[in-house]
Amino acid sequence: MTITTATPTGSLPHPVILWIAQLRAWVFLCLLIIFFEIWARAAEGSSFVFNLYNIQSIAVFATAPLLLALGQTFVIISSGIDLSLGFVMGLSSVIAAHASNYFMVRYGVPPFAAMLLAILSGTLVAFIPGLVNGLLIAHLQIPPFIGTLGMYGVARGAAYLFAGGMTVAIDNPWFSAIGNGRIYGVPVLVIITAVTCLVMHYLLSETRFGQHTYAFGASKVAARRAGIDIKRLTLKIYLLSALGAGLAGAMYTGRFTAGAAQAGEPLLLDSIAAVVIGGASLFGGSGTIWGTIAGALVIAVIQYGLVFINVEPFWQFIAVGAVIIVSVLVDQTQRNLTGGRQVE
Amino acid sequence: MERRSLLKLMGATAAMAGVGLAPGRAAAADKVTIALIPGLTADGFYVTMHKGAEAAAKAVGAELLYQGAAEWNVSLQVPILDAIIAKKPAAILIAPNDKTQMIAPLKKAFDAGIAVVCVDTFIGSGVFQTGAGDADFPISYVASDNVLGGRIAARALAKAIGEKGKVYVSNVKPGVSTTDQREEGFKDEMKKYPNVTVLETQFNDDDANKAAAQVQAVIGRVPDLAGVFGANLFSAGGTANGVKQGGMVGKVKLAGFDAPESIVAQLKDGTFELTVAQHPAEIGYFGFMEAFAFVTGNPVPTAIGTGFSVMTKDNIDDPKVSKYLYKSS
Repeated sequence: MTITTATPTGSLPHPVILWIAQLRAWVFLCLLIIFFEIWARAAEGSSFVFNLYNIQSIAVFATAPLLLALGQTFVIISSGIDLSLGFVMGLSSVIAAHASNYFMVRYGVPPFAAMLLAILSGTLVAFIPGLVNGLLIAHLQIPPFIGTLGMYGVARGAAYLFAGGMTVAIDNPWFSAIGNGRIYGVPVLVIITAVTCLVMHYLLSETRFGQHTYAFGASKVAARRAGIDIKRLTLKIYLLSALGAGLAGAMYTGRFTAGAAQAGEPLLLDSIAAVVIGGASLFGGSGTIWGTIAGALVIAVIQYGLVFINVEPFWQFIAVGAVIIVSVLVDQTQRNLTGGRQVE
Repeated sequence: MERRSLLKLMGATAAMAGVGLAPGRAAAADKVTIALIPGLTADGFYVTMHKGAEAAAKAVGAELLYQGAAEWNVSLQVPILDAIIAKKPAAILIAPNDKTQMIAPLKKAFDAGIAVVCVDTFIGSGVFQTGAGDADFPISYVASDNVLGGRIAARALAKAIGEKGKVYVSNVKPGVSTTDQREEGFKDEMKKYPNVTVLETQFNDDDANKAAAQVQAVIGRVPDLAGVFGANLFSAGGTANGVKQGGMVGKVKLAGFDAPESIVAQLKDGTFELTVAQHPAEIGYFGFMEAFAFVTGNPVPTAIGTGFSVMTKDNIDDPKVSKYLYKSS
């Protein structure tokens, strides 16, 4: 399925170029892995990628920013942005921790059920900021940047209030197992994130909701003329994005056995970077879940790989920044080559 | 040990001076008002410090104002300081967000006749009332010695790994005075152990997720990694998770810094070998008492150093140790 997000200039590029351009985040990821593999073999005499331990570590590392980035992909495709996600995740993390403790201590609910209730509460509490974001943006015409920035502050304050300025420790072996356990050697976190990716991919590429999101991002006026209920659509997009952050918050609590208000603060920019590296345009109308997954992996591989090959810490900052810039330059080149054509 | 008892004595003297003189000038005038501005509000360390200051305020019947910013940032702390100066408290206890940038804003308080006490972090050199430089006007600096804290962590971690092997410091970001000092103390003390190698420091931007990935990457490269010192709460917590995810619990020993209540379970299940707890409530209490003593016309020391407690699974149930856990209530 192909859509045109910009007017193609001149003749159509060769199909192979088009195809490679669309997979550019994955190509980039492969190049990075090859680079680290060569370096690791030359300098350390060990393999970087043929090493289950490294693969697992990177996969777990990528889960948290990826869970935020999945929802953010929808928002960015709709030409919006959700800056509240980091602290929505923190709020959910704190609420999930409290819920686990509350149900276990107050009602004597067994740990497994308390864990389910905690994940549910953590995820559902994100419904509130998501709903408010959506209402502000859809009905009151507040620009997404401003509306979600306001919610960034509100969610942050609420999270710290609920946490009393501290971290909220949990004592629930099942909850901890969700964050740290493995099934047939695969970390549970990775499984949960993979399933979420599949659901999000289905929503974006196979449903009317997903197609409307592309149409809305490409041209608001055209989407409206085509009879799409754009208010309802906007509301759904911001709800979905907040729910993703809610799930990320609950997972954080399980993994670190404590809820923390600042859990997602450093992840927000990583999540936006992942979406952009993955090929979405900040102007809306293009982007895919597969691209976002590659984008999140690119960030995780760089940060993990630089430590693995023992790059001096200050150089790591420079390297990560440079890779983001290069990635956006590649994006520009792709758009020039393909006239913005892209497969969903 | 000797040092600590001396510090306690100093603190106790300051406290007694404050308590003893409470009915004097304070009773004649209105209630004494003293403000506390933390480095940031959203941090268990400062929450606990606030509780200590509150206890002191209650003990002498003075009033405590508490206002701070959510983030560690000079441009957020200055407006709060200005608003507090406008309320004209007798004294301000502050954890300045920067050694140099906070000098001028605090000078305004001093010029308005408000006594300034630095708690936890400092301005200038941290040595006050010497007549040297433009930043010696605060009456006192009340804090734990973070270089010493790093040394204590190094000694305890060296012991835990049998005084040999490779270790590194997981730190927040360069340029924060307290965490820089802990790293400095840790590295310097480790020089005394010839069989211990200190690897490159890893900076995690206070992101537990990143700290976890970093320790896994280091283990990937250095499979015989023996220990890690997490220089603050999230560095330590994130590293602990990375060690757990990598299945290396017990093989890689962790020394943490700071002591939220959640540390108890982590000490008991072996996630952490030890943690170095500061005494923030003590800083708040004696900082307040010192300011109170000063504004009621009493001589005060120019520095009070508060202590540390090393917590392990063997001593954490002892009330003498567990009372130093950071609590919000």
